Amino acid sequence: MAAVRPAQGQPASEAVRGRMRRQREEELLVWPDLVFIEFISAVVFTILLVGLSVVVDAVLLDRANPAVTPNPSKAPWYFLNLQELLLHMHPALAGVIVPTIALIALGAIPYWDADHEGQGQWLSTPRAWANMWVGSIVGAFGTLLLIFFDDGQHAKLYERLMNASGVVANIDGKPNPDFNAWPFPVLRTMRDFQKNFPWDLGFIDLSKPIPLGNLLRTDLLGLPRLDLNVNIPAVVVEQMIPVGVMVGFPVLLSVVAQRRGLAVTRRDHMILQFAGFIATYLMLTVVGTYFRGLGLALGPYTIFAEK
Amino acid sequence: MAATERPTRRSMGDRLYDAIFSNRLWRSIFRSGYPNTPRNQMLAVATNVFLHLHPTRIHRTHVKITHTFCLGGLSFFLFLGLTITGVLLMFYYVPSVERAYEDILRLDTDVRFGQLMRNIHRWMAHGMVLTVLMHMMRVFYTGAYKPPREFNWVVGVVLLVLTLLLSFTGYLLPWDQLALWAITVGTNMVGSAPLLGEPNRFVLVGGFQVGQNALIRFYTLHVIGLPLLAAVFMTVHFWRIRRDGGLAKPL
Repeated sequence: MAAVRPAQGQPASEAVRGRMRRQREEELLVWPDLVFIEFISAVVFTILLVGLSVVVDAVLLDRANPAVTPNPSKAPWYFLNLQELLLHMHPALAGVIVPTIALIALGAIPYWDADHEGQGQWLSTPRAWANMWVGSIVGAFGTLLLIFFDDGQHAKLYERLMNASGVVANIDGKPNPDFNAWPFPVLRTMRDFQKNFPWDLGFIDLSKPIPLGNLLRTDLLGLPRLDLNVNIPAVVVEQMIPVGVMVGFPVLLSVVAQRRGLAVTRRDHMILQFAGFIATYLMLTVVGTYFRGLGLALGPYTIFAEK
Repeated sequence: MAATERPTRRSMGDRLYDAIFSNRLWRSIFRSGYPNTPRNQMLAVATNVFLHLHPTRIHRTHVKITHTFCLGGLSFFLFLGLTITGVLLMFYYVPSVERAYEDILRLDTDVRFGQLMRNIHRWMAHGMVLTVLMHMMRVFYTGAYKPPREFNWVVGVVLLVLTLLLSFTGYLLPWDQLALWAITVGTNMVGSAPLLGEPNRFVLVGGFQVGQNALIRFYTLHVIGLPLLAAVFMTVHFWRIRRDGGLAKPL
């Protein structure tokens, strides 16, 4: 606004006056045009919330008892995405490092993309909607596929299809030789990978814990001796692979989108990644809330069944 | 009006209107009548302590519901509603492990409208998490975080975290199985952080497990610490919207 105002003491040129007039014509008065919308919206939502509260009571279970752990025990719903991550990776990574980095990245958005294009209108840059949809769909279904993979759903599906005639896996507690089992036991779930991968490479057996305390002799410096045993399979499965997936897949998505001409500007990439992040967040929340039951196994679940 | 014409009697409605809106009491509170000229309408917004959060004029596209879906305003509305219902709930609630659960039971059964107040508070709390998240999405997709509004986006991210913390601290207060174990799971996540995790968890919970110390800490944070902090950040958030010339406009 200040830019079009003429300097003090100088008569405004006809062009400047015209621009100011046009800008004024684009404006409405806050009273009544905005104040009334706000008022009506507040009334409508008050009625809706009171109505909802009359119909649905807030959940109240039995008195808190530290001696009885419910199965499943769940965090509040907006943290169930993190609890879902917890099932697939190291707790420090899922519970603290990933959310911290996500929040910092979220806060840093305006400092990556300072271009004024597409400001003040819904997804108005040329490829914005396409990027939003691709990001959302890839984020949601990619997350779902990864959850299914870590649960061994692909192996279960294979076994169901290959044993369609009704062959069962075990007879009287013994393995059935006619049963067509998933042929890659290493690639059933990530835990199976940790257990069944041939970690003994011949020249070095990676399955044995590496006593880092013997290498870093902190005791020689007068400090307490480090009691560190690095478990390589656990580090690979709980930390390296999850980090690889969480960094690698978004980067891959951006690279592919760039190659295909879908994402060209920074704003395109931001929309792609932001939509992917939101979809992943929602998918993890939905799975964590409604599809983690007894022992946090995959399956339909609702808290309202507890009552 | 012709000179011979007698003044008509004022109707009942007019006299009632004057009785309500032209008496000394009303006039002492609202100094002018209904603002029905543009000048008075602008003055009404600019001189009223509550309304002057707004500018006096606003761009035509910004009053369209589909531009903002009122999400930021709704988040603030829910915050106010939560404050009101929260104050009422505080009358009946004592944050001690011996009494908390019984107080909630009493609230649900003995206190008139107690269950309703608790329900409204609960649904508004869930609603506020949702509206704040959706408001963030709206601001992102309309590109409203771009300069000069970068830092206000950061303030918004802080407000998102405060909203989650407000909801999380409130979750423990009913002291039922859901509350205790959700907070146990949640605080254990904090404890898993490298190096500082366990000390942080200890400070948050006030011990090795969720008990009386955790309850009083969460209660204090929930009813005074976090709301005050949120109010400060909200003030900055709203102030900066005004300073940056209202909502983002296409160039």
